[in-house]
Amino acid sequence: MKEQFQGRMLRIHFTEDDKWQGEPLYKAIVAKCMELGLGGATVFRGVEGFGASARIYHARSLSISKNAPVMVTVIDTEEQIQKLIPHLDQMIEGGLIASSRVEGIRYTRPE
Amino acid sequence: MLSSGKAVKVSIYLSEGATHHGASTYSSILDFLFFRGVSGATVLKGVAGFGADHHMHSANFVEISDHLPMKIEFIETREKIDELLGKLEEMVGSGMIEFQETTIAKPAQVSKSKKAPVSEHVRIEGKAKLMRIYIGESDRWHDQPLHEALLRAMRANDLAGATVYRGILGYGAHRRVHKEKPLHLSHDSSIMLSVIDTEEKLQAFLPLVDQMVQEGLVVLSDVDIIKYSHRAMETGESKE
Repeated sequence: MKEQFQGRMLRIHFTEDDKWQGEPLYKAIVAKCMELGLGGATVFRGVEGFGASARIYHARSLSISKNAPVMVTVIDTEEQIQKLIPHLDQMIEGGLIASSRVEGIRYTRPE
Repeated sequence: MLSSGKAVKVSIYLSEGATHHGASTYSSILDFLFFRGVSGATVLKGVAGFGADHHMHSANFVEISDHLPMKIEFIETREKIDELLGKLEEMVGSGMIEFQETTIAKPAQVSKSKKAPVSEHVRIEGKAKLMRIYIGESDRWHDQPLHEALLRAMRANDLAGATVYRGILGYGAHRRVHKEKPLHLSHDSSIMLSVIDTEEKLQAFLPLVDQMVQEGLVVLSDVDIIKYSHRAMETGESKE
C-alpha cells in the first residue's frame, strides 16, 4: 500500500555515550518515539566528527571508545513530530536538532 | 514493447576485463539496458578472439585471462536505440557497436509494463532535491538485496550519486526493532539510501521505486547544492 503525506524530518545529533536515566540516549529516544506512536526512527553512527564541544572523534578499528557521533532521524507528520519535541528538550543536554519539511511516501505491506 | 516487423539488432563487442566507472563494462551495460526498459538482452562470452589491438585472447590458460571477448546482444526499435546510443557509446569505451536491420517474426511475451524513459544526465546547481529511502537490510528484490538493486537502478538511471547507510538501531512500520548485532551474524539492520539530484530526475525515478520497494519510507526534501564536481574517470579497457 502506498500513502503520500506532507511531513517533517528531525535529525538529532549527539554522541553514543550520552545517557538518559542510565541508558544510552539514542535508545531512550527510539523508545520514546515508539511510545508516542511515531511512524519510525533510525539511529546512525558516524565514523568521524566533531560537535559543539569541539572534540574530534575517529572510528579507529578495534577501538573500545564509545564516544562516536550518532544521529537519530525521525520522520512523521508535523503534529506527531511536535509531540516529540518537548521530550527531546528534556532528554538532550548537549546536541543539535535539525528540522526540515519533507514530502513522504510510505509503503506498507499488509501483514 | 516490441511487436512483429522491422527492428534493429545491436551487438556490442568488448573485452571481459573492460571497466566503466570501476564496475565491469558488460554488467554496467546490462544494468543500463535493463533499467532503461529495453525488452531483453543477452550477454555471450567468447572462448577466443582478437580485436582492434590484434592480440589473440583465448581461454587456454586455465581461466586466467580476463581479456576474453564478450558480446552483448539486444533487439529494439530504431527510436529506442537512438535514445540509448549516446550513453552506450560512452560506456563501451574502446569496444565496438554494430547494428543490423532485422525482422521480428514473433515478439516475446510481455510480463511487465515498460518504464518511462528518463532524461539524460545534467549538471545540478542551486536548488535540488534530497531523496532518502528507508528500508530493511534483509529486504530483497528478485534475487538480490533491495538496497543493492536500488543503488544499481539509480546508477543505471544516471542519478548524480547515492550513498547507503546502515543504522545501528531503528524501527519502522511494523514496529519491529532492527538492531545491529556484533560480528554481523544478523543482516537485519535499518538501511537508508540517500540521493541528491534535480527534482525532475528524482520524480522520473520514483515509478521504479514504486515497483521495487514493497515496504519502506521515501522522503523528499529541498536542498541547495553548494558544490558538485567529480574527477574525470577512465573508461574502457582496464590496464593490468
